Amino acid sequence: MLRNRYTPYAFLSPYIIIFSVFWLVPILFSFAMSFMNTRSRTWQFDFFLNWGRLLEDELLWQALKNTFLIIALQVPAMLMLAVFAAVLLNSKDLNFKGLHRFAIFAPIVVAEAAYAVIFRLLFNDNFGFVNNMLALINIDAIAWTNSSSGATALIAIGLTWRWTGYNAIIILAGLQNIPKDLYEASELEGTSPWQQFTKITLPLLKPAILLCLVLSTFGTLQLFTEPTLLTEGGPGGSTTTVAMYMYSQGFKSFNFGYGSAIAYLIVFLGLTLSLLQFKLFGGKPDE
Amino acid sequence: MANIQMQQLKKNFGDIPVIKGIDLDIKDREFICFLGPSGCGKSTLLRLMAGLEEISSGEFLIDNKRMNDVPASLRGISMVFQSYALYPHLTVRQNLAFGLKIQKLPSDEINNRIREVARTLQLSELLDRKPKILSGGQRQRVAIGRAIVRRPKVFLLDEPLSNLDATLRVSMRVELARLHEELQATIVYVTHDQVEAMTLATRVVVMKDGAIQQFASPLELLHRPANIFVAEFIGTPKINLFKVEVQECGPQSITVTHALFSNPITVSIAKEIKFAAGTKLTLGIRPHRLSTKQSLDCTISAKVTIVERLGTESLLYTDLGLETLVICSAAGTVPIIRGDQITLGFSSANCLLFDDHDQAIERCLPADVQLLIS
Amino acid sequence: MNNSLTSRAKKLFINVLMLVISCMWLIPIWMMMIYATHPDNVIFSGELVFNPGTDFLKNFAILQGKQDFSMAIFNSVIIAGVSTLLGLLVASMAGYALARFAFRGRNTLFALIIFILAVPSAAIVIPEYIIVVKHMGLSNNYAGVILPYLANAVGVFFMRQSFLNLPAETLEAAYLDGASEWKIFYSIALPIVRPALASLGIILFVAHWNDYLWPMLVMTSEQYQTAPIALGRLIGLANIEWGAMMVGASLMTVPFLLLFLILQKQIIAGITSGATK
Repeated sequence: MLRNRYTPYAFLSPYIIIFSVFWLVPILFSFAMSFMNTRSRTWQFDFFLNWGRLLEDELLWQALKNTFLIIALQVPAMLMLAVFAAVLLNSKDLNFKGLHRFAIFAPIVVAEAAYAVIFRLLFNDNFGFVNNMLALINIDAIAWTNSSSGATALIAIGLTWRWTGYNAIIILAGLQNIPKDLYEASELEGTSPWQQFTKITLPLLKPAILLCLVLSTFGTLQLFTEPTLLTEGGPGGSTTTVAMYMYSQGFKSFNFGYGSAIAYLIVFLGLTLSLLQFKLFGGKPDE
Repeated sequence: MANIQMQQLKKNFGDIPVIKGIDLDIKDREFICFLGPSGCGKSTLLRLMAGLEEISSGEFLIDNKRMNDVPASLRGISMVFQSYALYPHLTVRQNLAFGLKIQKLPSDEINNRIREVARTLQLSELLDRKPKILSGGQRQRVAIGRAIVRRPKVFLLDEPLSNLDATLRVSMRVELARLHEELQATIVYVTHDQVEAMTLATRVVVMKDGAIQQFASPLELLHRPANIFVAEFIGTPKINLFKVEVQECGPQSITVTHALFSNPITVSIAKEIKFAAGTKLTLGIRPHRLSTKQSLDCTISAKVTIVERLGTESLLYTDLGLETLVICSAAGTVPIIRGDQITLGFSSANCLLFDDHDQAIERCLPADVQLLIS
Repeated sequence: MNNSLTSRAKKLFINVLMLVISCMWLIPIWMMMIYATHPDNVIFSGELVFNPGTDFLKNFAILQGKQDFSMAIFNSVIIAGVSTLLGLLVASMAGYALARFAFRGRNTLFALIIFILAVPSAAIVIPEYIIVVKHMGLSNNYAGVILPYLANAVGVFFMRQSFLNLPAETLEAAYLDGASEWKIFYSIALPIVRPALASLGIILFVAHWNDYLWPMLVMTSEQYQTAPIALGRLIGLANIEWGAMMVGASLMTVPFLLLFLILQKQIIAGITSGATK
């Protein structure tokens, strides 16, 4: 078309302005800050202060350990459950599909803050619904908030409840993209349903599962709201995540420089982990 | 009411030339078809005319006014797209009115025009429907209506019938011919379907690789193709070609030979042209000019490899060891089957000759053809 | 026949299993609504209740007494609503430009947007806070929460994708009809991608409604806090009113569950096309 050369820029300008002011500048600013001593009266460059501290800060290492423990426990379990739920939801033998879809998918619209307070009540050590139910079948009350293993499990359960549906949606879309005739053809060859699942379904779902894996890892790495409201990072700092630690450094100790260095550590870990996942589980990064 | 001129019109996409210098002179009220294989540049040429692509160099005039830099909407053209490009969220009426509202025409004028167009194209019943629920033929008529309602000087149509099924295509073709009569406008029509071009056009532009191969009336293309490309592209089934050798060159005729021909054949030519004996030429003979019954001037004997029964005609394919199978169009009921040995006769008056650069050697047309073309 | 017996057993198994999972998934939501209608002593007694009580309004009064929760809901509606509408406009304009025009810097810009997609938002919260609150002075100001939301890379990516699927000829037809670029955009392109706008709109609205960290940093005064922040503050108190808390959770959740029932298709489309390209 005979177009005005400036037209595309006119359409882009609102985004570019906002993008520059609220993303680009902060990211560069943050990078600069991570090399500064922000606790002195006037900020000044001190190259290794914050980045050096990252290595020796035991509280940070504790937070990293907590975060990775949750990732390692929760993400694989949730993804297996999501694949399982998606396969069931896709099964022609399932009745009341609408109801089941609602049950599994609905948590994706529930706010983190809302479900955190709900779970905090349901999993209350003394009068919570869950321990009451366990008592009915003669299981002793579990210290959900007063033991570090209980607290970690509680957060993992909460995350699983909130995010299984989200991942199941992506995996279900992947399932529905698998051509039906693949199954029909393999049935003619006498393949068992289990073989169909492992030889056809899983390999073809790999891109969808990989995407879920990367998204979930990224998300959990930034985990903040749930541990803040569910366990307040306790007991004894056992559920304090990196993002919570960054927040407390930035906004409680007002050490913006160190907070920024932690933020970059999160970015770096996220990118490394997702690259690693792409490498490990096949698939090219651009797919 | 418009004539159109192009002078050395060129278009490059980056470094790649796609239109390589087009000279064209279209008269008022002509129905012109751009015909060619896909990728020949015919659609690009149309889009240059529409103002959807920028002209790289050369001149483009409508009614003697330079249009190169005039915005599309002020060129006095309207265009019908291959996909119809109807606005899916607007009703038929709103589709027709869209451009008129932008021109800020008064609303009774808009209503009058829509009513008129709807009557011409039998759209009156459909005016308040959305494109989604219309059939292919109805959408096509809306697309044409949207072009007509603007009252342009030139209509541009980009393969408008290619998305329709065969029956509908035939009836729309007739409709388009009627509209051309009625509208008295200049129409430029892009197609890759030679039947559409042959039936609709007053003149056809045959294109290949961004250049014009021939610009002539449909029958002239068939009977006096400018080169081998046009000869092969026009006419179904495809013309049979033989690499022949010059035996003798007279002032009004050339005698050529071929290993498969029963005897040398002498073709009369319109203008004297000299070839040394032994020069390789190409001789073309159309499938329905080959006869299984008569010997005529020359014969080829052949074994039938495939018989296609099309009903009113039968196509006999014979493998003579040439690059392509030689095709003969015989009567629908001809009692020949696969494996039969047959003799194909043809007369010299129906032979087309092409020189060693694939260009046609002007021939003397048979009297009946001469009459039709002029 | 043996075959039909195993297939019936399989069917039963699948249905029972899914029923168990679904019940477990619905329990938190159900119990939230149940506890919202019972006085706190029922909750503390450890008695199992599964039926609604009558104390919803009482609990709401307690909630409202502790924090102005109606105001918090109002703030949430304003913030999520305005940022969604403006976000849709900004993202679709940018997505349209990236999809429809060839211009200098297009690929660089698009690569930058993809890169942004990969940067966790937690990473910029500190500098963002310094810029918005310290330099722009937008503390306790709707604009302070909303403006950064508008730099939404997912939205641009999503809209670009939608506009790429739009047939070029339809826009060209509008161009030939004499429409200006802006007119082509808002009266042809935007209406055609309405389903995509709806999907993105819902997803943005839910995300902005649910966001916790950013509004907590900007809206420090109770008057401006959003619903999630109000809930978060309540749970930080020494004496937690559970019934009131569940009323608050219900108020900010139930409308979205109903919305999800109605717009399930759009939400799912938004997640899958946003996620799988």
